[in-house]
Amino acid sequence: MAKSNTDVIVVEELDPTFRDEVALMPGGANIKRCFACGTCAAGCPVTNIDEEYNCRTIIRKVLYGMRREVLASQAIWLCMMCYRCYARCPQQVDFTDIMRALRHMAVRDGFAPAEMLAREDEFDKKSQTLRRELVKGAVAGKKPAAKKTKVKAGR
Amino acid sequence: MYKKAMVVGGGVAGIQAALDLAEMGIETFLVESGPSIGGRMSQLDKTFPTNDCAMCILSPKLVQAGGHPYLHIITNSEVAGVEGVAPDLKVKVLKRPRYVDESKCTGCGICVTKCPTKVPDPYNKGLSQTKAIRIPFPQAVPAVAVIDPASCLYLKKGTCRLCQKACGTNAIDFTQKDELVTIEVGSVILACGTTEFNAKLKGEYGYGVFPNVVTSIEYERLLSASGPTGGHIVRPSDKKEPTRIAILQCVGSRDISAGNEHCSAICCMQAAKDAIITQEHLPKAKSTIFYMDIRAYGKGFDRFIAKARDRHDTTLINGRIASVESDPVTNDLDIRYITQDGKVSSKKFDMLVLSVGMQPSVSSMAAANNLHVRLDSAGFVSVDTMEPVTTSRAGIFACGSVSGPKDIPESVMEASGAASAAASTMGDLEVKQIKADLPIQKDLRGEPPRIGVYVCRCGINIASVVDVPSVVQYAQSLPGVKFAGELMFSCAQDSQKAIKAAIETHKLNRLVVAACTPRTHEPLFQNTLEQAGVNPYLFEFANIREHCAWVHQKEPANATRKACDLVRASVAKVKLAAPLYRKSMGVTKGALVIGGGLAGMTAALDLANQDYDVTMLEKSGELGGNLLHVRSTLSGKVTRPELAGLIEKVTVHAKIKTHFNARIKKVSGYVGNFHTELEGNGAPIDHGVVIVASGADEFQPAEYLYGKDDRVVTQRRLEEMIFAESENSQTVSDKPHSAISNLKSVVMIQCVGSRDDKRDYCSRVCCSNALKNAIAIKEQNPKTAVYILFRDIRSYGLREKYYRIAREKGVIFIRFEKDKKPEVTNKGGNLVVSVKDTILGKAVSIRPDLLVLSAGIVANPDNKALSQFFKVPLEQDGFFLEAHVKLRPVDFATDGVFVCGLAHYPKDIGETIAQARAAAGRAATILSKKSIESEGKISSIRQEMCSGCGACVAVCAYGAAELDPVKGIAVVNEALCKGCGACAASCRAGAIDLNGFRNEQILSMLNTI
Repeated sequence: MAKSNTDVIVVEELDPTFRDEVALMPGGANIKRCFACGTCAAGCPVTNIDEEYNCRTIIRKVLYGMRREVLASQAIWLCMMCYRCYARCPQQVDFTDIMRALRHMAVRDGFAPAEMLAREDEFDKKSQTLRRELVKGAVAGKKPAAKKTKVKAGR
Repeated sequence: MYKKAMVVGGGVAGIQAALDLAEMGIETFLVESGPSIGGRMSQLDKTFPTNDCAMCILSPKLVQAGGHPYLHIITNSEVAGVEGVAPDLKVKVLKRPRYVDESKCTGCGICVTKCPTKVPDPYNKGLSQTKAIRIPFPQAVPAVAVIDPASCLYLKKGTCRLCQKACGTNAIDFTQKDELVTIEVGSVILACGTTEFNAKLKGEYGYGVFPNVVTSIEYERLLSASGPTGGHIVRPSDKKEPTRIAILQCVGSRDISAGNEHCSAICCMQAAKDAIITQEHLPKAKSTIFYMDIRAYGKGFDRFIAKARDRHDTTLINGRIASVESDPVTNDLDIRYITQDGKVSSKKFDMLVLSVGMQPSVSSMAAANNLHVRLDSAGFVSVDTMEPVTTSRAGIFACGSVSGPKDIPESVMEASGAASAAASTMGDLEVKQIKADLPIQKDLRGEPPRIGVYVCRCGINIASVVDVPSVVQYAQSLPGVKFAGELMFSCAQDSQKAIKAAIETHKLNRLVVAACTPRTHEPLFQNTLEQAGVNPYLFEFANIREHCAWVHQKEPANATRKACDLVRASVAKVKLAAPLYRKSMGVTKGALVIGGGLAGMTAALDLANQDYDVTMLEKSGELGGNLLHVRSTLSGKVTRPELAGLIEKVTVHAKIKTHFNARIKKVSGYVGNFHTELEGNGAPIDHGVVIVASGADEFQPAEYLYGKDDRVVTQRRLEEMIFAESENSQTVSDKPHSAISNLKSVVMIQCVGSRDDKRDYCSRVCCSNALKNAIAIKEQNPKTAVYILFRDIRSYGLREKYYRIAREKGVIFIRFEKDKKPEVTNKGGNLVVSVKDTILGKAVSIRPDLLVLSAGIVANPDNKALSQFFKVPLEQDGFFLEAHVKLRPVDFATDGVFVCGLAHYPKDIGETIAQARAAAGRAATILSKKSIESEGKISSIRQEMCSGCGACVAVCAYGAAELDPVKGIAVVNEALCKGCGACAASCRAGAIDLNGFRNEQILSMLNTI
């Protein structure tokens, strides 16, 4: 995900309307309720392979108003839309739909190419296919398909 | 019409309310839905932050309630309806059949042994088995069997009746039916508590599926000596001792998805307590607590958390866990969590304890509905901050967790407060005269000692170390001992019956109980002796628990020998005991209230409304205290009109006399008969009780440029700014916009002067204050950016809602650690606040127009002088130290002196009012009496041996010893003497003896050892 140039967040340079805008998007209504408990991130399958991706961090940046950093980031494209975060969230923050909203806004505002939305579907299918092959291989006692396809299993 | 009241719910709150009412001479009906009183507290192992055994401190109250002549306990019953207008209420009570005649059952338990039907024991949360007929728990009151109709073979299928055949007193009665009775009372107090959250509703934690996932209340039972494992902590799957214990907070609390927005107020402390006790049981065990905010907002709570962390290897991890995996083979649990800095970690645990929250129970909501009392949207009884124990229906009050989650002392305070409120509504009615029918004490003069000895097992507390049967056998061999026996719990009600029976059968005239400590339990056994017609001072306590079993756990043989020694010494002492008599003294029916703030005025009004004279001392020239600086409550109610109303009521009340600019010069006297002189001229004030309501001060910060930059203010000043132009408006929302609404950005910093090395306590109200003011700013101008820099947000109980509202309004909360405090600088005329955001791992820089410091609360420096005047202690932070932090939260060890409000500890408006009413209620238990009794064990001076040196006068901490100016020898004020013995030890001439501890008794004990 994109790193900010500076290590200091200067709130006066941020956009406090960002959070209100996200809150008005479908599914965004409860974003401001987040009290950063971390349940979402602790259970996230994407975070599990890449700590740089963290739903709590993304929500926090939205709340601060870090519009550019969030919308230009890779992170908003990494979510695999499993809704686990939403299912476990004690404050009913619908993070998955918030991701959808952020992707929409990223394309709308020119932070990401429009075809990203279309290619999402392709990525999901490919990763699910790969997963299916791994599972089949493992259950059948064969060598995991991972080696053949040279995909790193992550950390 | 007599003074009569009903209390619904027999937990600790209900018991306290009922006992206070009964002590005021109000005939009280305590209606409990279960088969015994005791409530949730009876299931707890220990209580935070002192780690007192919960049952050990509760049991004496159970017994006191069970034996009080003004108190009727009605179990297995619920309220079904109410008619009339207070104080003329007719309450319908539905009594469910117990199938055991309470008047015949002796609680012997033979029926239980004969019953063939095993069922999960509800007292142990189903972790062990009991029978279809059972005594709910060993210390149950009433200690009478009850039949569970859902599992009794006879009631289900018409066969069996083994219990009926076994019962020696014909107490089993299968013909009992539901019975609807109407009880006329003047007032009702609702104290029916809450229930636990059903952890199965949070399926991701595996409760009910994974064997090693338990709830916090189940874990209490596993820790408890009277629990299913006898206090041996083992995990359910393989009965092995766990070494890695995870505790997860906020299960079913602060969880809108689970239907409970509120914080359950007690779980953080309970978790820390469980972590400490676990390691005390299993030295190798280490606990990890997963939390969102540590809510250690009470007296000594933060230090208790630090104790768990620093001295008991407890790891605190800030974050919730998302789910739990259980190893299908080992049943070990795998918990994945994420730390503040975003590291995902996975850890294996042997057990997971879910800190389940409190929520309104179906039965308590039904009780409230049947009494036509309004509930809030969550199902708690709805009360107002300014009237914390008053429900929507006149004459009906509420206390304890039924009106919102709270801990034991809060519940007890509210209970005494509700009792006072209920009593105030019945000021005109007469007191029904009920005689406590104590038998006349037998004249024992000339009788040789016939000593009875009872050795208590205390469940396994004593019996797991000391060989109790052999101590009994040994006691039997001692000269003068006519009877010796053992008891499972000597404090239980059925044990009192057994002791009385033994006294009669064996014509005993002296008693030794070898059990726990006389500090908590001596009055209980003395009462039993009185009821058996024996002078209560012909009694001796051998402490074989604290002094023996607990400290010699690893040496059972030596411990048993020591227990025998202790019993032998006690027998030697009691042999020489003489009957002692308590002196009766009159009571001045007036109170002195120190402090004219919210607490003092509330207490004064309650007492004045009960027709007692009140003298109020205010050190300043006006009434109001700290409330003068408060403009609204957290819920948005403006406080100025309320304060004005209160001052008006106090000012015009014929029974209240206020001295302004008052300073105390001298205090003399004792409970029932105090005399206080003020500086300047004027007659001394005679009063029977004292209520200390001396308040506290706002901390004056020296940090964060406070005092150096006008833009840095405290929350108190901010509140005045917010309300500057709205003095006369009735609600927050209709006030005009103030200068605040022009601000672009406001930063608040929490814990200024609190929770640091100098003042290591939480000031409790500052989080709520910050939320309140942040919400008000946002309401005036939603575009004003508000940042709250905090360590833990402590919006405990129902206050959690306002934390959510503040977030929804766009307030940004940034957590900082104790050693990484925010930095405030002035850069080119701009205030700049820098703080590290722990989640983003980056420094945040804010340039606020206004920096608000949540300055803590510091003790009133006058407390020191007051503590000396009234001989009551202060704790290390300068607040007053109550008699017992759990069960006597407004009393002092010194009789007749009470405390309330900020003098006790920081607290909010509602809590202050509840505690003030509690202090008034407790004070009324003394003022309502015609006379009070002195101690029996006091000093006596042999005049012929006294040289009048005055050493005893110098050492007496209670001012009880004086030199007679005429005779030149020492005299003891019997009312003031607490029997500490300091004078006896100091007397060079050997002229002083302490009754009950006479020199010859002590020497005899020493000689026998």
